[in-house]
Amino acid sequence: MMLRMRALCRKELRQLFASPIAYVVLTVYVALTGIYFFQHLVSYNQLLFVYQSEGMTGGGFDQGTVPTRINVLNEVFVPSADDFGLFLLVVLPLVTMRVFAEERANGTDELLLTSGLRPWEVAFAKHAVTYAFVALLLLGSAIYPAVVVLRASLGMEHLAALLLGQLFYGCAIASLGLACSSFTSSQIVAAVLGYAIPFVLLDFAWLSNTVSEGVAAVLREAALLSHYGSFARGVIELRNVVYFEGVALLGWLLSVASLELSRAR
Amino acid sequence: MSAKIEAQRVSKRFGSLVALDALSLEIAAGEVFGIIGPNGAGKTTFLRILTGYWLASDGDVRVDGLSVTRQRFQVQARLGYACEQPKLYADHRVDAFLRLMGELRGLSGARLRAAVAVASERLGLEEVMHRRIGVLSKGFRQRVALAQAILHEPALLVVDEPTVGLDPAQQIELRRIIAGFRGQHTVILCTHQLHEAELLCDRVALLDRGRLAAIATADEIRAGGSLEALFLAKVGTHSGFAP
Repeated sequence: MMLRMRALCRKELRQLFASPIAYVVLTVYVALTGIYFFQHLVSYNQLLFVYQSEGMTGGGFDQGTVPTRINVLNEVFVPSADDFGLFLLVVLPLVTMRVFAEERANGTDELLLTSGLRPWEVAFAKHAVTYAFVALLLLGSAIYPAVVVLRASLGMEHLAALLLGQLFYGCAIASLGLACSSFTSSQIVAAVLGYAIPFVLLDFAWLSNTVSEGVAAVLREAALLSHYGSFARGVIELRNVVYFEGVALLGWLLSVASLELSRAR
Repeated sequence: MSAKIEAQRVSKRFGSLVALDALSLEIAAGEVFGIIGPNGAGKTTFLRILTGYWLASDGDVRVDGLSVTRQRFQVQARLGYACEQPKLYADHRVDAFLRLMGELRGLSGARLRAAVAVASERLGLEEVMHRRIGVLSKGFRQRVALAQAILHEPALLVVDEPTVGLDPAQQIELRRIIAGFRGQHTVILCTHQLHEAELLCDRVALLDRGRLAAIATADEIRAGGSLEALFLAKVGTHSGFAP
């Protein structure tokens, strides 16, 4: 089984990097996160400058002239994590839309599913390689927060928590995109669904005024954003990890179900 | 090594459309069995059910006693399938693709290298082994499809429309290759080319509108004149041919 899985993963990697989309997404994501991270850093420095200028007589922010809420964590890390999350939401469906839909459109799913492979193996390899690509995206953009963590003596746990949070969040979004791709042979349809579903799941605040408090609480718990924010603050909560892993598992199960259901067409 | 196949009242419905209607067939081990019929007769549908790609609405197919419905992975381990209009990974080189398919079939190391070498030799692929599949001619792509189907030396080889769209020289060459499979596998050959079925097959089944319209041995076909005569007699009027 390991041999088959390794071969399948190699095939998926080859197909992923045979298309220019992977390189474009990688470049755009790393560039966008760099620009926005730098922007938050500049804003933070300007803020410090303003506070320090006004309290120049008393010395720098170490002397208490800068409010404690103005710090690198709140002004750079947290808003950057929000931006990074949004960028993941924008770029990942471009990667996931192809994965199952292209196979179905080209008819190569027939080749795979008649060669003794279990549908769960096919889906697992596709999900695993896409998650590895998410990790690669995050590694590419990790340089920016890493430099700040080192320079600002913030503590490596903040960087680790941020990256882990992004990884869980990215894999959950990718998994939903892959599930969408598995139900269609059209990459356009897969992309539209891959955008629509995570965007709907992102935040249910728009619904909270129209439903009862109980339902609103459930919706808050179901929203992607409500489980993502704490990672940027360096807090890894088990419930958030379980939530994202649950979404990723659901996406994989839906992909397997779609492959099985396609037999009964 | 060859397999016996029994199709037992196999039906496939797509909504109100009946693609296969209680089809029953028996194919002996080692036989080269042809399936012919007009477009929409249910030939490819039957092959897709036999290979476990589709689920039958009713009935079952057994390969050496193993049910495709309940034991499809064991059945798939015994068969090689070259589907219609070869569906291959165009971005792979031929050697990489064959290695991939061999690994997916559980081959590794020396066994994998030997299987790829044997398949490429049998199919005459040596000169294109380092080329990308996407740039190959249709004839070579069809050969690659056949090569991946025989890598694991399956008991049953299922070949769907192998010569469609090929020039006459490629058709002749591919028929020679398929004839070479005799004695090594049970072969199910689905084709539109009546003379191809006549040349290669021990028996031929004629499907029409999802049903078995006729089944004849090579001798019976010769005694009746030709497969074309049988085809026209059974389905000529509604397939657009006038006998």
